[in-house]
Amino acid sequence: MSNIPFFEIVKNTLMGARRTGQDSKDSIGGLDDVIPAKKLIVVGNPNVGKSVVFNRLTGRYVVVSNYPGTTVEISRGKTRIHDLWFEIVDTPGMYSLRPISDEERVGRELLLLETADAVLHVLDAKNLERMLPFTLQLIEAGYPVILALNMMDEARNLGVKIDTARLRNILGIPVVETIALTGQGIDELRNTIYDYTCSTENQFSRV
Amino acid sequence: MTTLAPQKISFPGYEAGLETAIQMVNAALFADYRMTRRAIAILLLQEDAEIQLLVREQEGEQYTFVKQAVQFALQEFGGNIDSAIILQRRDMVLKITRQVMQHADKPRVMVTERLSRMCMSPITGIPILIIALWFGLYQFVGVFGGGTLVNLLEKQLFGQYLNPWFTVHVQHWIPWPWLSDLFVGDYGIWTLGITYAVALIFPIVGTFFIAFSVLEDSGYFPRLAMLIDRLFKGIGLNGKAVIPIVLGFGCDTMATIVTRILETPRERILATFLLSLAIPCSAQMGVMTAMLSGHPTAFILWMLIMTGIFLLIGYLTGRLMPGETAHFAMELPPLRWPSPANILIKTWSRVQWYFLEVFPLFIFASFAIWLGRLTGVFTLLVKGLVPVVRFLGLPDKAAEAFLFGFFRRDYGAAGLYKLQEHGALNGNSLLVSVVTLTIFLPCIAQFLMVKKERGLKMALGMAAFILPFAVLVGGGLNFVLTALHVHL
Repeated sequence: MSNIPFFEIVKNTLMGARRTGQDSKDSIGGLDDVIPAKKLIVVGNPNVGKSVVFNRLTGRYVVVSNYPGTTVEISRGKTRIHDLWFEIVDTPGMYSLRPISDEERVGRELLLLETADAVLHVLDAKNLERMLPFTLQLIEAGYPVILALNMMDEARNLGVKIDTARLRNILGIPVVETIALTGQGIDELRNTIYDYTCSTENQFSRV
Repeated sequence: MTTLAPQKISFPGYEAGLETAIQMVNAALFADYRMTRRAIAILLLQEDAEIQLLVREQEGEQYTFVKQAVQFALQEFGGNIDSAIILQRRDMVLKITRQVMQHADKPRVMVTERLSRMCMSPITGIPILIIALWFGLYQFVGVFGGGTLVNLLEKQLFGQYLNPWFTVHVQHWIPWPWLSDLFVGDYGIWTLGITYAVALIFPIVGTFFIAFSVLEDSGYFPRLAMLIDRLFKGIGLNGKAVIPIVLGFGCDTMATIVTRILETPRERILATFLLSLAIPCSAQMGVMTAMLSGHPTAFILWMLIMTGIFLLIGYLTGRLMPGETAHFAMELPPLRWPSPANILIKTWSRVQWYFLEVFPLFIFASFAIWLGRLTGVFTLLVKGLVPVVRFLGLPDKAAEAFLFGFFRRDYGAAGLYKLQEHGALNGNSLLVSVVTLTIFLPCIAQFLMVKKERGLKMALGMAAFILPFAVLVGGGLNFVLTALHVHL
């Protein structure tokens, strides 16, 4: 696939973008010493806490801003869950698989270029209705999706109740409640990522 | 959450007409993609240009059939398939959320919600903005950071102890003045480069980053964006452009990358231009606030002049570049108490990044100046700038600072700060030089980023406008102040 010009262009854009971004220190979380066995791509709308989740998972700091649209490039980190190393890839916010702005394009290009063992869709629990269409789209596209309902505390404060078990049943994918800011639910998320990527049966279940 | 007995609820689907269209295109696809052919089919029906390219690459000769299938499916379907897909997907979601989601009858209106609205309504929002600027910027960064801390570090620590000690020792070990000047001369690596970076810029930028992080973490900025939205529409930018602009107060280089979130090329160019022209970055903003900290009137005038230039130029450029303004809807994160841990880590990572970028450049600048003085180029350049500086009504000494400004605006500002410390600048010259430097060319990093994002032609074009414009505005301001007999 790599000799196709289209992909070359896209790849160069991605690589070029990576070099100049907020993390000039590409080697932090350096992937040089271990080759991760699995890859997880983190996607979601702008400002739902993707970068915080990324930081929680990798223990590495990418500039997090309480502000939509601040991640415009791709960050990579790695983490160990039980006996396996995972590469975690953070993407700029996107609203759907159909990009409107350049920044959204970066995320989709990644999904078209790299094979992920799981795609973690982080969404803002209090805006479930608005963000779930993207989840449906990801499932439709055959990605092995894990859904993280982030900002559960804020949702609760607003009086929003979500029946997570039922949602899991309907969608047929793992759904985890998280409060990334305080780290709640991250352990469960890690276990889910591990279990999901290591069992083969649920991959591409809905093709 | 109560665990429910697992019951299989069917996953909702598209309506028959749409489903047929999808199937039709799906059947024409044979290659492998990283997403399902079904998803590719849907994106083809939505006429996604990049996916069309990808499919052409992957399907090869088959592509003509795919194209025919898409055309046929679109004809069969009739109406607007794009909105049908989006609407039906929304319906599916509603079917799901109806089963899993419950809203409380009356969402509690919290204090934060009221405060949030106050930040966005012009009547209360503008006073809140002024308060934030006055205490956060002027008092904390200008008076405390630029006054108290700089005094402690630069005058006491460096001026009294470190610099004399270093000078004596270096001059002892390197007996040739032409060489020891490189380290401890008037423009030496230690006495100018490192002293500027550590004793002058660091406390100012550090306090600025703290103030910035507090406001950022509290969720204030998106509300500020909503407040300014109307203003922006007037000049042909949508409110989303506030995001790069506000981030520009942190670092214009980063903000130039962030202009990617804008949807139309026109807006990207406009925002990039305004960032280069009228938005001082944190380092500059800090140093300039510090310079003006003894002159509140000048500070307020500076803010007003910059806002005026921003609006005027934005408006004119918007007029010159016709095009649609994109629609704008932004997610508002809740207002919250900023968490100390977040502030600490944000400030730290910014300071770290700033130093990594600035330190080598300051040292390089000291080296370049040293070389320039040995060869006489430096004096020549300074002489060349003297008429410009005189036109601005500034003392000849200020020419050096402007030369520094070519390296980085904050470096130039630091040079002026030194002059001001020695009392060489009165209120008027302070205001004039601060305004000129704010408009002045962006730093090298930003210039390179503009070149990368918008192309060399655009970057050079912007620079060719900005440079004379800065001098003209400064000169004009000086003229007006003198004509009106204003003494700040």
